[in-house]
Amino acid sequence: MRETLRDRSRARGLSRIRPPGGLRTSATVVVLATAVLLPLVPLLVWSVAGTWRYPDVVPGRVTRRGLDLVLDGEVVSATATSLLIALTVAALACAIGLSAGRAIGLHRFRGRRLVQFLLLAPVIVPGLAVTLGIQVFFVRYGLADTVLGVVLVQLMPTVPYAATLLGAAYANLDVDYERQARTLGSGPLRTFLTVTVPLLRPALVTTALLTFLISWSEYILTLLIGGGQVTTLPLLLFAAIGSSDRTAAAALGLLVVLPPVVIVVLVAGRLRGRDDAWMGLARG
Amino acid sequence: MAEPTLAARLDVSGLGARFDAVTAVADLDLTLASGSFTALLGPSGCGKSTTLAMVAGLLAPTTGDVRLDGASLLGVPAERRPVSLVFQKPLLFPHLTVEQNVAYGLRVRRPAGGGSGRASRQEVATQVEEMLERVRLGGLGRRRVGELSGGQEQRVALARALVLRPRLLLLDEPFSQLDADLRAEMRALVRELHDEAELTTLFVTHDQDEAVELADTIVLMLEGRLAGEGSPETFYTAPPSLAAARFFGATNEVRGLVVAGLFRGQGLLEGALTVPTTAPDGAGVLVVRPEAVGLDGEVPALVCATRFAGSDVLVDTELLDGQSVRVRVPLGTRVAVGDRLSLALVPDRCTVFTQEAE
Amino acid sequence: MSHPVVSTGPTTRQHAVRRGVPERLRALLLLSPALLVVGVFFVGGVVQAVLQSLGRQPFLGENDWSFDAYRATLADPAFRASLILTLRVVVVSTGLATVLGVAVALLVRRHARGPLTTLLQSTLAVPHLVGALCIGLLLSPSGFLSRLGAGVGAVDGQQDFPVLTNDAFGWGIIAEYTWKEAPFIAVVALASLTPHVRDLEGAARVLGAGRWRRFTSVTLPLIAPPVAAASVLVASFAAASYEVPRLLGQSFPATLPVVALQRYQDTDLLVRPQAMAVATIIAVSSLVLVAAYLSLVSRLSRRSL
Repeated sequence: MRETLRDRSRARGLSRIRPPGGLRTSATVVVLATAVLLPLVPLLVWSVAGTWRYPDVVPGRVTRRGLDLVLDGEVVSATATSLLIALTVAALACAIGLSAGRAIGLHRFRGRRLVQFLLLAPVIVPGLAVTLGIQVFFVRYGLADTVLGVVLVQLMPTVPYAATLLGAAYANLDVDYERQARTLGSGPLRTFLTVTVPLLRPALVTTALLTFLISWSEYILTLLIGGGQVTTLPLLLFAAIGSSDRTAAAALGLLVVLPPVVIVVLVAGRLRGRDDAWMGLARG
Repeated sequence: MAEPTLAARLDVSGLGARFDAVTAVADLDLTLASGSFTALLGPSGCGKSTTLAMVAGLLAPTTGDVRLDGASLLGVPAERRPVSLVFQKPLLFPHLTVEQNVAYGLRVRRPAGGGSGRASRQEVATQVEEMLERVRLGGLGRRRVGELSGGQEQRVALARALVLRPRLLLLDEPFSQLDADLRAEMRALVRELHDEAELTTLFVTHDQDEAVELADTIVLMLEGRLAGEGSPETFYTAPPSLAAARFFGATNEVRGLVVAGLFRGQGLLEGALTVPTTAPDGAGVLVVRPEAVGLDGEVPALVCATRFAGSDVLVDTELLDGQSVRVRVPLGTRVAVGDRLSLALVPDRCTVFTQEAE
Repeated sequence: MSHPVVSTGPTTRQHAVRRGVPERLRALLLLSPALLVVGVFFVGGVVQAVLQSLGRQPFLGENDWSFDAYRATLADPAFRASLILTLRVVVVSTGLATVLGVAVALLVRRHARGPLTTLLQSTLAVPHLVGALCIGLLLSPSGFLSRLGAGVGAVDGQQDFPVLTNDAFGWGIIAEYTWKEAPFIAVVALASLTPHVRDLEGAARVLGAGRWRRFTSVTLPLIAPPVAAASVLVASFAAASYEVPRLLGQSFPATLPVVALQRYQDTDLLVRPQAMAVATIIAVSSLVLVAAYLSLVSRLSRRSL
């Protein structure tokens, strides 16, 4: 077998002999990008479609109605509710996750396996199955149909998730920084606030954003516990999809999808190789 | 300039630390005089860092007491002890600038030795800048931690610890991660700072050269216990124990018997080797450093090998009964394999210990 | 230059023993809020579902244990059809997502890793609800693809376009899951195609292994564990979703989560135990998947890659 210079250099990992990329790669990328982005195209187009008769490929008339809908009172209110719930859930999940994460990342204790299981199961087991079970209790304690109830039930998938992510962050933390701070005269609380938290900041930000995202996208838990009284954006969207108004549905869909995409683009760099972080997104 | 520090006297008595089944430190008694510079020397894993942690308050001792100027520190949390600790890693807080790092402790506690309440912002800034000057990093206050070299980082760590004017300064092998020439520079700096500020310093190291060069007193720890205490010279000329002697490189051990104040060679060595000693009667071992063996004595030995060792020559010899003695002789001495020498083992340059049961 | 040094972890460190609280107790205290949340909501929910499925409905005065709900459910042909549908949808979409995800990862690993990863990650961010909408707008008889087809003459009107949404097989559902989860598999696969893997492939090449042989004997085995773990996750997420089958599937037969809610919302409260039975079946199968995932992942970390 005659080995060409190219084979040899490629074997050595020096693909510089060939221009990085090249026509075949660009073509592949374009094809893949098209396939991946294709389903989003109709969403964009329909959101501005005024009249769009079949079988036209392009809408006959373009309308602002969809965009106006976003500013409609009901939508604004639902957006505000979604934001309120998501921010609260993110804050609570991070606080509780920080505490649990410290135990997971820094302490030795028996029953590690069990804790691992308990922190993974709520993220994976369908929320619907579990919520059907506890709905009665939400009703009994007056939490059904309330924002507080929705916030609490959304803690179920987010807290374990945050605990896992922050546990990994704590495991990567060098405890000696805290010891050093103590020898400099800083008590436990001050050390935590001025040394530990700043060191954990990247992971905290990522966790907050991801839990926000999970809450923002949540539908079934809000439906079951909110009872239709707590109206978040996903609920409005679901209703719109059921109606025959595609323009409205598409416009709302864009509104719902915007924060997640923006957040992920911001956060993507920090999540290199951390499969469990992506898990939260793949879920919902 | 700086107010005089109340350099403390440290008394450690019966200090011990146990983790589950492992005893890291046992029955340690130690006294550091006010203003002294002591090296806590020992191989890795001998309990030196654990001892420091207990003195600093990061670890609660299982037994024993730690007293600073007579007052017990047990139960006093680390953040309230007037003790500063510099670790092996610089541990500079990466989210703060150099200035903010050095000022960290100042913003919490009052400087030891007086001062009214929390220092004002201006006072803090002045003290920080002064301290940075002293460690020769003047003007670098605004730098971020990531921009510093290893040596600079350690100097900032030193500044951060010293600016609090501690009554006791603890250093846990702070230079082991630096290059050789940098280490030498830093050693000089630490000694200088100690002398200037009149601190009591306890310096942990596994490097005996470092200990010998820097300290007034060396405390040797082996396997969690005290194995000797004294000036660097004492460890060379009159090591306190066989283990200490071995640690310090006294590689020659000759076995014999001590009878009535005399160490005598046995068997074939009978009569050929006698050294007066204060060791108790019984089986004994004579320990002597290679450079302390003279060539103008009366102990017959046969040269087996010679080796060039830079500034001198190492000569391996064999005594009448087969025991070996290594001698260090200056370059140029005429010695060849097969020569017969008469070694000199002088009493004040060797030490006799009781043989341990093997 | 200065970064927080990676600590060797709790097993090899000795911690500052603070006065008072021993380590194990402190760990428990720190864990308690999280464990409380999980305990009350998750464990409580599952237990409640199980109890109610076994007939315990105190407010209806039903207090006996019975397996009636399970018997009725399992005997119900509608449930069996739902089960088959759910399995079909889950298996097909997981399979497709895995194959496509790995294929994409292999295609772009060398040159286009960066830009495409960002692209894949952003579609990963799309919630299932919006995904269902997108697929519906794309694949429905009056959807975008149909119009494109009509435009090029391949399709002769809405009736001529194949029924891909709200269909009996579940193609619409499968399409959404595949579209959303293949990027997840691709991201995981890309992350596992490390330079180390490339080195090993190079070594195999030098030993004479051809391209296909290298793929099957070196590449695949090396990326199989993380990809397998991710596949297990994809399967669970596919099985768990409510929005997607509700919007893109038929109301009968529907997937298990939809069936559970249907039964739950039935005006006849005596049907509720059946809803709980379905919920329990879902939960238990899912827990099995969690265990499978954890065992796969722990085997991963024991291997030195």
